[in-house]
Amino acid sequence: MKNRSLFLSIIFCALLGSGWLTPQEAIGQIQVNGGNITMSISTAFPGSEPVAVINTLTSLRYPRENVVTKITVRTNCTGQNFGLSVVALAVGGGTAAPQVVLINGMPDTDFITGIPGRPPGGFMTATLQYTATATFAQGNSTELGDDVHTVTYTLIAQ
Amino acid sequence: MKTLSSIAIVLAVNLSAARAQFSSADHSVTVQVTPITVLQVSSGSVNLNIAGGNAVAGEDAMSIVDQSTSLLWGSNSSAKKISISSNLVAPVFTLKAVALNPTQGLAAPEATLASTPADFLINIGRSTGSCVIQYTGIALASQGTGTDAHTITLTIQTQ
Repeated sequence: MKNRSLFLSIIFCALLGSGWLTPQEAIGQIQVNGGNITMSISTAFPGSEPVAVINTLTSLRYPRENVVTKITVRTNCTGQNFGLSVVALAVGGGTAAPQVVLINGMPDTDFITGIPGRPPGGFMTATLQYTATATFAQGNSTELGDDVHTVTYTLIAQ
Repeated sequence: MKTLSSIAIVLAVNLSAARAQFSSADHSVTVQVTPITVLQVSSGSVNLNIAGGNAVAGEDAMSIVDQSTSLLWGSNSSAKKISISSNLVAPVFTLKAVALNPTQGLAAPEATLASTPADFLINIGRSTGSCVIQYTGIALASQGTGTDAHTITLTIQTQ
């Protein structure tokens, strides 16, 4: 009997510690609004590298969960040749991390942190500002092909 | 019982890890870079005046050198060079040009400018850089006096 109580206590503590006993069901899904985008670098001034291109046409829509959460970002871009970075603007909840340089195979990197928890429900948004860069030495897409990134945003407990 | 407890704890920890991620979303971002070439000469015009002071007794040729202008370029294409040409098909006097101190690539030998493009810088590859343009004007005493007004064209082209 004593062992049975100990066993149940251990399970209870483990589940409580894991958050299993608190209602942490996902309130909603994180979404990227605006679809896929293409950024084209085509101009330069003598004595300077090609002019970077900025795109703010897409945004993130993310839910408020039961706990404090954060959003991470990573990219997959096989054979990457050019530069791409992203930063969150007009963040509806949480704090934007400094601009993240997107490199093929990078680990999940903080993008928006400290997204408030309770009360759950409702959605927040943030504008995605992408900056594409290239140097003369990095070449061009006609010779090397485009960089096609699959950029993934993940909402996780912080 | 110990075994059961361990299983329960491991299960709970795994559930916790699995539940830490709420959701994810992705989209595609394509970066295109078009072939870009830029060239800029630092100064609008150069005057090479050959006067009596340029003459050496006993020599037919008189010359003068100018290094007041420079060239900036940028190219993101491979196997490129810069050529130089003049709009004058048959100038009276001789005008030569050579690149000095290029930050990228290799200066071609000094070229006599004509309407047919001559190599100015080779092997610039994918680069941005600069060099000094040295012009040398040469006149023979036997050519008399006059003026050649050249329009010089520098071009990035495939090597």
